[in-house]
Amino acid sequence: MANPSPSGPILSAQNLCVESLGGKERFPVLTDLNFTLEPGKILGLVGESGAGKSMIGRTISQFLPHGFAVTKGTLKFDGEDLVGMGADRRRDLLGRDIAFIPQEPLSGLNPVLSVGQQMKEHLLRIGLQPGESWKLRALKEFEAVHLPHGAALLDKYPHQLSGGMCQRILIAMAFASRPRLLIADEPTTALDVTIQARIIKLIGEMQRRDGTAVIFITHDLRLASQISDEIMVLYAGRPAERGPAKQLFSDPAHPYTRCLQLANPNISGPRRGLFILPERMPGLRVLKELKGCRFASRCPNVMEACTQTEPPLADIGPNHIAACIRTEKTPDIVPPPLAPGREIASANIHFNGERLTKAYTTAWSPFASRSSFKAVNSVDFTLGEGEFVGIVGESGSGKSSLARLVVGLDTPTDGKITLAGRDVTANRNADKAFRRDYIQMVFQDPQSALNPRRRIGSIVTQANEATGLLNSHRERMVRAAELLKEIGLPPDAAMRFPSQLSGGQKQRVNIARALCTLPKILVADEIVSGLDVSVQAQLLDLLLKLRDEHGFSMLFISHDLSVVRYLCDRVMVMYRGEVVESGRTEAVFSKPQHDYTRSLLAAVPPDDVNSEWSPVLAEAGYQVE
Amino acid sequence: MRMFATIAKLLVKRVLTAIPILLVVSALLFCILRILPVDPAAMSLPPNATVQEIEAMRSEMGLDRPLYEQYGIWLNQLLHGNIGRSIHFRQDVTALIGNTLPATIELAVIAMMVATVFGIAGGLFLFYVRGTRMEAVMDFFSILLLSLPEFLWSLFLLLVFGVFFEVLPFTGRLSPGFERPVVTGFLLLDSLITGNISSLINALQHMILPCLALGIALSPSLMRVLRSSLLDAYQDDYIHQARLRGLSEKRILVRHGLKNAILPTLSLMGVQFGFLFGGTLLVEIIYSYPGMGNLMVDAIRNADLPIIQGAGLTYCIAVLVISIVVDSLYLILNPKLRVR
Repeated sequence: MANPSPSGPILSAQNLCVESLGGKERFPVLTDLNFTLEPGKILGLVGESGAGKSMIGRTISQFLPHGFAVTKGTLKFDGEDLVGMGADRRRDLLGRDIAFIPQEPLSGLNPVLSVGQQMKEHLLRIGLQPGESWKLRALKEFEAVHLPHGAALLDKYPHQLSGGMCQRILIAMAFASRPRLLIADEPTTALDVTIQARIIKLIGEMQRRDGTAVIFITHDLRLASQISDEIMVLYAGRPAERGPAKQLFSDPAHPYTRCLQLANPNISGPRRGLFILPERMPGLRVLKELKGCRFASRCPNVMEACTQTEPPLADIGPNHIAACIRTEKTPDIVPPPLAPGREIASANIHFNGERLTKAYTTAWSPFASRSSFKAVNSVDFTLGEGEFVGIVGESGSGKSSLARLVVGLDTPTDGKITLAGRDVTANRNADKAFRRDYIQMVFQDPQSALNPRRRIGSIVTQANEATGLLNSHRERMVRAAELLKEIGLPPDAAMRFPSQLSGGQKQRVNIARALCTLPKILVADEIVSGLDVSVQAQLLDLLLKLRDEHGFSMLFISHDLSVVRYLCDRVMVMYRGEVVESGRTEAVFSKPQHDYTRSLLAAVPPDDVNSEWSPVLAEAGYQVE
Repeated sequence: MRMFATIAKLLVKRVLTAIPILLVVSALLFCILRILPVDPAAMSLPPNATVQEIEAMRSEMGLDRPLYEQYGIWLNQLLHGNIGRSIHFRQDVTALIGNTLPATIELAVIAMMVATVFGIAGGLFLFYVRGTRMEAVMDFFSILLLSLPEFLWSLFLLLVFGVFFEVLPFTGRLSPGFERPVVTGFLLLDSLITGNISSLINALQHMILPCLALGIALSPSLMRVLRSSLLDAYQDDYIHQARLRGLSEKRILVRHGLKNAILPTLSLMGVQFGFLFGGTLLVEIIYSYPGMGNLMVDAIRNADLPIIQGAGLTYCIAVLVISIVVDSLYLILNPKLRVR
């Protein structure tokens, strides 16, 4: 099916500009995009959300949001003009020569059609060999992506499968037609680290098999540098830097690339401080009025000339270009020194959980015997004053179930919980009230955790409404102003609604709400996942600052090991409801004792681009998906 | 097949839960109607009956026994298929309901079919014109349709097609002079079985106006639910992915969009169909259609307790059956509900 043309790039963009024309004002979305992608090469697109990474994928497919259009430049697929071509020709290319892998594997498949029905539809669409049965072909494609029990899989529906399996099916579909170009838009963001590693390796394997050119979109510079040949860093719709992956990562020329790199905590070597990128990327609407460099407002190396004219993308080495007039100063950007390590010698134990177990039993039914499943199995742990304890593990390992037991949203089926010397295991109403004063929870998704119809001021002081401590609205607004100041939001935010804040600001509000009644313990469930690294760094910094002020301790659940390593004093590794390893973070991460911990650590892309990333792909004794 | 096993389980479960529901409903019906200040004994005797005669009748009918005993007797009779005799018509209630229920079922089923066709076609059209100027126009019309009740449609259609143009009949189920075959009681079915084509055509002509009136009145809510479910489905990733795989818009709509969007529409249809059993009443009266609705009106007017009880139970059973059917359809269409 694929007929690689011997000459020329598979995809080339020249001075490509995309603008929003609909609505009242016209503003640029993508500016001055120039790149070529040779067959068999991988181009990584990196940047914060809103930088325009996904817009490139949408421009290639020409499914742009309403009112957006290519206004300048060309975009060619194997010499054919993608923008000007007819809809029929483009539809013919999509799915066959140009394939896509989505971000959310579970929602990428139709929930009411079986895997077989969807696979059949796609195989018939791309065309089978004469006499070839779609079923045999489907099984062949499943085998290529290492999906076991392919025949049984055909009858399954997406909700019966894990995210990793769905992503493998989507990869099998994408590569079934031996495409010449693949666009993978954050294909592993929604997956666990170990599965991320396997999926990335799989995409690489398939790409090498077919000689497919790949555009790999990710917010993770470290990941991009591991798998890409070339990386393009986007900032506010314009390339900031483009160059060979390894060179760009080890020797970034643009301050933004350097800052992004330093905003992400490292996984090996001595811990270092995080570079906090201030504020956020300018919105696309204000770009029109902006003179000078887009990054100037956040750049540590900014000088007068930067704000006068937009710096051109200049050559700074072979195949390496950057839009900065002071690239020689970029290596001078260094992370701030690490806050002095705290000595958690305090014998003041706030929380003590012994043999905590939460078992779920299936509902009684005349048709099946009842079965029981232990989400949390005999977990012991303590939380001392001012101590940050991280819980890591894959989804389904019982992290969130444990958090619910700690907060008191669930009652353990076995074990004992002592909170400040008081036994609260039974979780009676009096225990609950005591607990609420003591423990508060920060939820994962600020989008759904904040009531969209309440103003920020009343959201953050919600806890006071029930306690009767601050009865009047005015008293509560005074408290709200204090809280907003602490979390670094302007006082006028109190009158706004959640929809008027950015994702990072919402998560700050989420934290402020938990802190309102000054609890001694915070339970934070994946509170920085799904946020940009710059926002993540801001929030991690904020949490450390707030601990210095209030001295609370925290149970911090995360799938991101480098974040846990940066933030937490101790770490517990959970696997299938049990804690398989725990100890001081440094010790566990530098000398992991348990195989599972080792496989988790190996799954994280290394900091050093030259060291080999060798995740354990199918470990013995541990279930593969 | 796992799906059939699941449906079988559902059926067993639902039939088992239907028993207590029916018991509660029957008890309620019995008590409420017994508390009404109507004396069945006096009603079944001529107006000049003496007090002694009434008392004798009361003890003969068992009305002097305690209420729970009366209920027991009534329930026992019920289980033997005997709901009692109509006081007014002097006929078995089972026979009366047996004569009128098929007519109402026919009316409701065909009306629902009309509503489904209009609802799905209209919903697809509303969805198709999304974001265009036509959308506002269609929106206006769909709300206009939504605000017109079925009896207005009945009168309107009757006046236009029955009275003014005189193209369609508008009273009863069959014109005089047509033979009425009786096999199952369902007129359309019976004329088809017996090969009586002229009766079939005449009966169908009689169905057109009442079914249109009901169908048109039910369809706008279906349209709007389908449209909004389609809009929701089109926000989902799998639609975008289907586009990126190069599928045609038509295929995406029918196979991916509609298959998901039909689920909420189906729930609404189930609710509507349940209401339709009681809701045909006004239309039956307007078109002098000899169904359950007309029977109920007569029964209430004459305080004919056995008929009211029988009709109430029939309604309850109909709603239970419909909900089981809708739930089974849901299981077939939505794999997420099937137990692993």
